[in-house]
Amino acid sequence: MKKFARALALTMTCALALPAFAQDKPVAGEVKEGSLKGKTLTFVSYGGIYQDGQVAALKEFVDKSGVTLLNDGPTEIAKLKAQVDAGNVTWDVVDTADLPPYVHCGTLFQKLDLSKLDVSKIPPGQVGECSVPAMNYGVVLMYKNETYKDNPPKNWIDFFDTEKFPGTRAIDGSGDPTGGLIEQAFKATGGDPKAMTADDIEKGIQKLRDLGPDTIYWKTGAESQQLAESGEADMIMMWTGRAMTAVKNGAAYTPVWQDWLVVMDQMTIPVGVKDTDAAYALLNAYLGANAQAVLTEKTSYTPINLDAKPKVDDTTAAFLTSTPERIAQGYQQNIPFWVKNFDLAAEKWNALLSGN
Amino acid sequence: MTATHDEGLRSAVDRSAFLSRFRPRGAVWLAAPAVLVLLVVLAYPLGIVVWRSFTDPAVGVDNYVWFFQSAVNRTVLQRTFVVAAWVTLVSLICAYPYAYAMTIVGKNVRLALILCVLVPFWLSGVVRTLAWVILLQDSGVINSILRGLGLSPVKLIRTLPGVVIGMTQVLLPFMILPIYSVMKGIDTRLLQAARSLGAKPWKAFLQIYVPLSLPGVYAGAIIVFILSLGFYITPALLGGPRSILLSSLVQNQVLSLLNWGRGGAMGVVLLVATFVLLALAAPLMRQKHTSSRREA
Repeated sequence: MKKFARALALTMTCALALPAFAQDKPVAGEVKEGSLKGKTLTFVSYGGIYQDGQVAALKEFVDKSGVTLLNDGPTEIAKLKAQVDAGNVTWDVVDTADLPPYVHCGTLFQKLDLSKLDVSKIPPGQVGECSVPAMNYGVVLMYKNETYKDNPPKNWIDFFDTEKFPGTRAIDGSGDPTGGLIEQAFKATGGDPKAMTADDIEKGIQKLRDLGPDTIYWKTGAESQQLAESGEADMIMMWTGRAMTAVKNGAAYTPVWQDWLVVMDQMTIPVGVKDTDAAYALLNAYLGANAQAVLTEKTSYTPINLDAKPKVDDTTAAFLTSTPERIAQGYQQNIPFWVKNFDLAAEKWNALLSGN
Repeated sequence: MTATHDEGLRSAVDRSAFLSRFRPRGAVWLAAPAVLVLLVVLAYPLGIVVWRSFTDPAVGVDNYVWFFQSAVNRTVLQRTFVVAAWVTLVSLICAYPYAYAMTIVGKNVRLALILCVLVPFWLSGVVRTLAWVILLQDSGVINSILRGLGLSPVKLIRTLPGVVIGMTQVLLPFMILPIYSVMKGIDTRLLQAARSLGAKPWKAFLQIYVPLSLPGVYAGAIIVFILSLGFYITPALLGGPRSILLSSLVQNQVLSLLNWGRGGAMGVVLLVATFVLLALAAPLMRQKHTSSRREA
């Protein structure tokens, strides 16, 4: 009711042509009727069911604002850099992986003006200088029931203990290093991730290397799911969305939730977009409770609006990471550390992934 | 009459040399559209890549120094050439008898053989590679059969041999087709002539047929070798860390680290290394041609 009143107030002030007042308090999920008529926004994400879900979440925004929404993808930071370098940015809102908005903040991505967004319902600690979260998911350790039976691994320390828990490991080798995993590896060597230094990155990587030459580094989410469904590996580091789909498809694996790694996609506005305010309007609408509920229902990813009430089946619900229990078990990587050491970590990670 | 007969004796390469002597003036302009396209889509971007490798982020040879100082890069560069050589060799071993068979069978069987070569062309390389994943993986078709027969399973996926198998299957048509096109132009009466002069069948084959087919072998080998050097998806999906090729490292630099200068330098190193290798191989091939002509 309160929201409705607010929306009404907004619409009225808009009608009274008092834009300064209207801009004062944006409300997540809301947009002025017909405010973007005749305008075009290009939204870029990773395609597939994920982007379809995002477009579904934005449908209300599109219908109400009158904007023409174009879709492009997949997101490639290199392509964005080419656009920014050439001074011809055609991507207005870009969904990216975890770290790029921090690494390229101010150079490729705009510093966000938070007075133009309602970030009050975003889970704490997730708003960056250049980004708001696009959704949440987790990286979990999935173990094969048949291999470990009554003595399953309980955390990442067990994942790195090949003596007590023999078996093939599969690790996310799809792109940038996962900082959280290296932190856990460093922890397994007896170190304290909170006090990690640049030199410790190698120690963590070495722990991964010690898992042995039969370790699988999967290249795509689909590959990780295939590994689970065919039982190729005994412990698999998996994205929750893929883990859920594998279980739905009959993979006899169980997730370990202790210290699951918190990860998210980010929503960003590139430097040099033609209509920044229109891009903000899209972001603000995307952050709404209804939009986020739709996103979760279509994609099974965790919503980033605390008020979102998605209707999902039991398996999907079991893999959502927004319950109080899951939030308590989650492990958040040290983002500033990995941003600062991004190049070094990537170099060592690539050495590991090319067999060196 | 003599001219046609004479021409029939020549290999395909000799024939083109023969024709080139009768090139009308101005015909070179026929190549203009192709040259223009190559300038725009190949020379210009390549120029930018080279330029960036010397200027991004700073003017100088830093990117090349970085490349050769890194043990990872050196190992992977070497591995890339070794894998390309293996793929070329295995492709040749598979393709030569296949192409020969295509020249001696009846019309219908030949059609079937050609289809077998062409069908993979109509399928995406990714799909074919994923099919290999299902065949080669530890819990896959091949190992299930081995286990069913009471034999011990073999490690195929995420090994170098697995990558070579997958790449060979993808590249085989590029070896078979050039060899076949040369072989079908070989006059088999030459073999009969050799037999009538007392040569044993295998000797006639080795000394007459094989040398005449070499231009096709060289063409196929060069195409397969060069395509192998740039392979990315197949080694990524079928290989493990120990079978990652240089293109994956380039991709990392360009797409994930945005070090376009370094990525460019890696590409330039690969390109130059390829040219050097081909330049070394060229005299060898030419020599073989002359000897084959003498024998013919």
